Amino acid sequence: MTTPLLSVRDLVVEFQTGDGIVRAVNNVSFDIPLGKTIGIVGESGSGKSVTSLAVMGLLQKPAAVVPQGQILFNGLDLLTCNESKMRELRGNQISMIFQEPMTSLNPVFKVGEQIAEALRIHKKLSQKEAWEKAVHLMNQVGIPNPALSAHKFPHEMSGGQKQRVMIAMAISCEPKLLIADEPTTALDVTIQKQVLELLHKLQQEYRMSMMFITHDLGVIGDIADDVVVMYRSNVVEQNNAQKIFESATHPYTKGLLACRPKLGANPRRLLTVSDFMTEEGKEKVIPVDRVQVFDKESVADKTDHVLLEVKNLVTQFPIKGGLFGGTVDHFKAVNDVSFKIKKGKTLGLVGESGCGKTTLGRSILRLVEPASGNIIYDGKDITHVKHEELRQLRKKMQIIFQDPYSSLNPRMTIADILVEPLIIHNEGGTKAQRFEMARALIEKVGLKSNQMNRYPHEFSGGQRQRICIARALMLRPEFVICDESVSALDVSIQAQVLNLLLDLQEEFGLTYVFISHDLSVVNFIADEVGVMYAGKIIEMDKASNIYKGAKEEYTRTLLSAIPRGETKQSLASLV
Amino acid sequence: MTKYIIRRLLYMIPVLLGVSLIIFVLFNVVSGDPTAVLLGKNATARQMADLREQLGLNKSLFSQYLDIVKSAFTFDFGYSWATKQEISQMIWQGAYPSLCLSIPAFVISTVVSLLISVFVAYYRGKGIDLFVRVCCIAGMSISALAYILFFQWFFAYKLGWFEISGFEEGFPNFISYIALPAIIWIVLSIGPDVRFFRTVILDEIYQDYVRTARSKGLSEITILLHHVLRNAMIPIITYVVIQIPSLILGALLLENFFSIPGLGGMTLNALNSSDFPVMKAMAIISSVGYIIFGLISDILYTVADPRIKFK
Amino acid sequence: MKTNSLWKDAFIRLSKDKLALVSLIIVLTYFFVAILSALGLIASNWSQEVGASNLAPSMEHFFGTDIFGRSVLLKVIRGTQVAMSVGVAASIIAIPIGVLLGALAGYFGGWIDDFVTWLYTTFSSVPNIMLLISITLILGKGIFAVYIALGATSWVTLCRLIRGEVMKHKEREYVQAAGAIGGGHFRKLFRHILPNVSHIIIINTSMQFQIAIKSEVILSYLGLGVQGEPSWGTMIDDAKLELVRGVWWQLAGATVAMFFILLAFNILSDALRDALDPKLKGK
Repeated sequence: MTTPLLSVRDLVVEFQTGDGIVRAVNNVSFDIPLGKTIGIVGESGSGKSVTSLAVMGLLQKPAAVVPQGQILFNGLDLLTCNESKMRELRGNQISMIFQEPMTSLNPVFKVGEQIAEALRIHKKLSQKEAWEKAVHLMNQVGIPNPALSAHKFPHEMSGGQKQRVMIAMAISCEPKLLIADEPTTALDVTIQKQVLELLHKLQQEYRMSMMFITHDLGVIGDIADDVVVMYRSNVVEQNNAQKIFESATHPYTKGLLACRPKLGANPRRLLTVSDFMTEEGKEKVIPVDRVQVFDKESVADKTDHVLLEVKNLVTQFPIKGGLFGGTVDHFKAVNDVSFKIKKGKTLGLVGESGCGKTTLGRSILRLVEPASGNIIYDGKDITHVKHEELRQLRKKMQIIFQDPYSSLNPRMTIADILVEPLIIHNEGGTKAQRFEMARALIEKVGLKSNQMNRYPHEFSGGQRQRICIARALMLRPEFVICDESVSALDVSIQAQVLNLLLDLQEEFGLTYVFISHDLSVVNFIADEVGVMYAGKIIEMDKASNIYKGAKEEYTRTLLSAIPRGETKQSLASLV
Repeated sequence: MTKYIIRRLLYMIPVLLGVSLIIFVLFNVVSGDPTAVLLGKNATARQMADLREQLGLNKSLFSQYLDIVKSAFTFDFGYSWATKQEISQMIWQGAYPSLCLSIPAFVISTVVSLLISVFVAYYRGKGIDLFVRVCCIAGMSISALAYILFFQWFFAYKLGWFEISGFEEGFPNFISYIALPAIIWIVLSIGPDVRFFRTVILDEIYQDYVRTARSKGLSEITILLHHVLRNAMIPIITYVVIQIPSLILGALLLENFFSIPGLGGMTLNALNSSDFPVMKAMAIISSVGYIIFGLISDILYTVADPRIKFK
Repeated sequence: MKTNSLWKDAFIRLSKDKLALVSLIIVLTYFFVAILSALGLIASNWSQEVGASNLAPSMEHFFGTDIFGRSVLLKVIRGTQVAMSVGVAASIIAIPIGVLLGALAGYFGGWIDDFVTWLYTTFSSVPNIMLLISITLILGKGIFAVYIALGATSWVTLCRLIRGEVMKHKEREYVQAAGAIGGGHFRKLFRHILPNVSHIIIINTSMQFQIAIKSEVILSYLGLGVQGEPSWGTMIDDAKLELVRGVWWQLAGATVAMFFILLAFNILSDALRDALDPKLKGK
């Protein structure tokens, strides 16, 4: 056994906050051998990012303190290094890629300049040499037309390209260790796959060690040699990646593996971390029927009643221009879309950012006005209904938004938020009766009724999404649009919310349009799937048919982009 | 880009019409008949009618408004009621002493404030930063009048280091007259300037791209002077440019206290003698200055920030 | 289980800031003094002769006496009443105008926005000091003219800030959600958006208050403000001639009184921004 490149020993990191000391990293130890990739997995707040910042020496002082531990890099304890020594190492021997490519580049400098900068200080290259090397690197990370692109400013590039620039910058000095902190989380699935492949390729080429941080165990399946699982500031399991996927021992790891919906076979409800362990971290026994694979299509349709039909729908936005900022053209966000949904069923709409899926959802609800086409709800054309009729329609059709942080009014209590729809429509009887309805629903979505007087900021992302669901259901709608409703959540929370949506569908006979960029999630929840691309639905079929035999090339690209960390493991082996 | 500038230029027209409207409403509609004030109590009705005719006050309100709009473009403001001089001539004469004072004071105070802000941003959270912030806030809480009175009394009267008041044309003669008011100007501006610059710089220091720069191994100084300052310069430039028209107006109070025959002093004299044409002229001219430099600052903003795209 | 609204959270954060708390107490004290003076309970006899002319500060006359033998302390108190009343009056005029115009422009956009933008661009194109002296001169010198002039100038900043913030919030999902449950424009704007931008009113008012006080002093100094009553500005005007004779206490009295209230408002504005503006949280 050779000495590892990086060795973290009993690391403790604490933060001094207004409410006392919070321990973010607790006795964490792991090794990164030379030329290997280590995946660090955990949900938000588990301490994984703080660990990486500690390695970089970028912890925000004086709020953060390291009372204990060692970070040995080639035998040198980084925690004892002074700032100038750390500067020599940073960007040179250890470099880092961040999650948000949009904000991580300096907006006022050309990208070529930003890549060249590290080369000039660490390798003492001249202005010209550094620029040439930067162009070469941009070519290597797959940016088209690098000589020209180097002159671009960050805002002139797409998110994926910006992340490639970040990678070029990170590898410019041929570091020994590359830290990647959720580098693909903000990207579309197809771009995510390309970036992952690029990182893997570069890691092999440069014989770097890599520390890859993510909340999604699936993402690192293909590239990590070893996996470290963190939970609530502690390392709960670390092992060879193959072993983790085949025979995880800690219940939390098992939960993480099981909660991601798989293409094809899934149980009726997803398994979640809480199926595997109790609040206190004790292992639980899972009943066998929870893991049995469920075939949606075996269930006969209860009704043939078509609840919603969309015919040739077009929604467009004006493109402003000209001397007086008049409308010069229109951008068709939704371009001639048609589909039908039967009552009690779920239609999944999948596509990447900018494909028009969100606009489609909002057009159906008439939150955005469609330009042409028809929306027929329950046999009635609602494309042009106004005022009172539209208001009445709001009782039947509801929406759950993506961002649980911005979709609740921060100045209202949960009780006020839930009762508001009843007040608007003058329903639900007396104040006390309305409150009682809200209380019943809040318990149904899995929150405690004694939390009703609290404000949204006192809840976690997953809890807020449950509140949004409750609000949408207060008026007892028949039809609900879920617009990326689980995308902002960690995978483990995502599974819980998906299960909740299915439970509610069963209980209230709801019809869903489920919009997502994640084909595996849509495949799990939807009966029928429509694939959207550039404003059109290019392919539409039963969920299982899409998965088994997609006809369109683009659909197949989407399918192949889904991370497949979970492969060999069968559900039964988890029990 | 040219489209943007043209659009922005054209937008000056409605704003200028609006400014003229404010001035018109104030001086021609609300103010009532100024002839009684001008001629005193013993004026006959005949005299007043003649004067009204002479001042153009018997024209219709609309054509009075048009006169104001016209003067905004031609800079022909007519004659002063008090001194009977041509106003454009008076402005021309007053501009020289005003600019002798305001330009050096403005340039020095901006440069000094910028240096101080970069310095304290580097030592943010340390004792020196706190000290400067306390000085800024305390300095800003003292009345400008108190500074002027005290400095004039102490440095000019008591110590006799500077001229107490007056002005002489020609370099270097004017220096001894403008030195003290310029110092007071600088002292007055440093507080708010440093506070603004420091906030802008610190806003940038907490951005993600600064973390990226650190992860590249750049030193704090390089990050501050190269990455942060380049971004902070965008709002700073706008802030500085937008102040330039106030130089034209001169320092009202300073010129008054130090008897500098500039535009500020002229405005206050006009105020004391209810000399409406001069007040109107100063209001129009300073507004035109604000509008033009507002435009320049907008254009500079878009030049300095590559993110802004022109449609 | 403890539960806190954002307002309460902000207040708790504010009360932990000792300096801000002291500032708040200073501001409240000034208000208290101003109200007592306005009710005629204190300093109503300011114009009485209490001693010889131009007495230096002593135990008997804290701030000394002026040329007519009147107590400078009582004049400072009357000046406090004037200064605070100007701040309050300017706010009473500026807040409804600024909030209403800004909210309507930001929410509805279109020609309303064009009109409001033109209106405040026009007002902010005339230099403040020119607008202030012109309005007070035209309306006839006096405290009432000062109220109007300051009201007319201080709605502009508030209007611009509210407009921008309402525009941002209009696109937030919670407002969309209010629309999806059937809420109309009125509900979206007044029940949802305004409570979320109202902190701006508080922060801005705290800053405008300082500007109002400073402006009143300058206008009074120029003889455009309050007539026949003492104000900090007229006291400084008196001091202009007295200083060469070594009579510094009118200047000192007015400056010190002004210093503490401006300092308190300065610190309070910063603290309010930190406590109420969630964007700056954690910095």
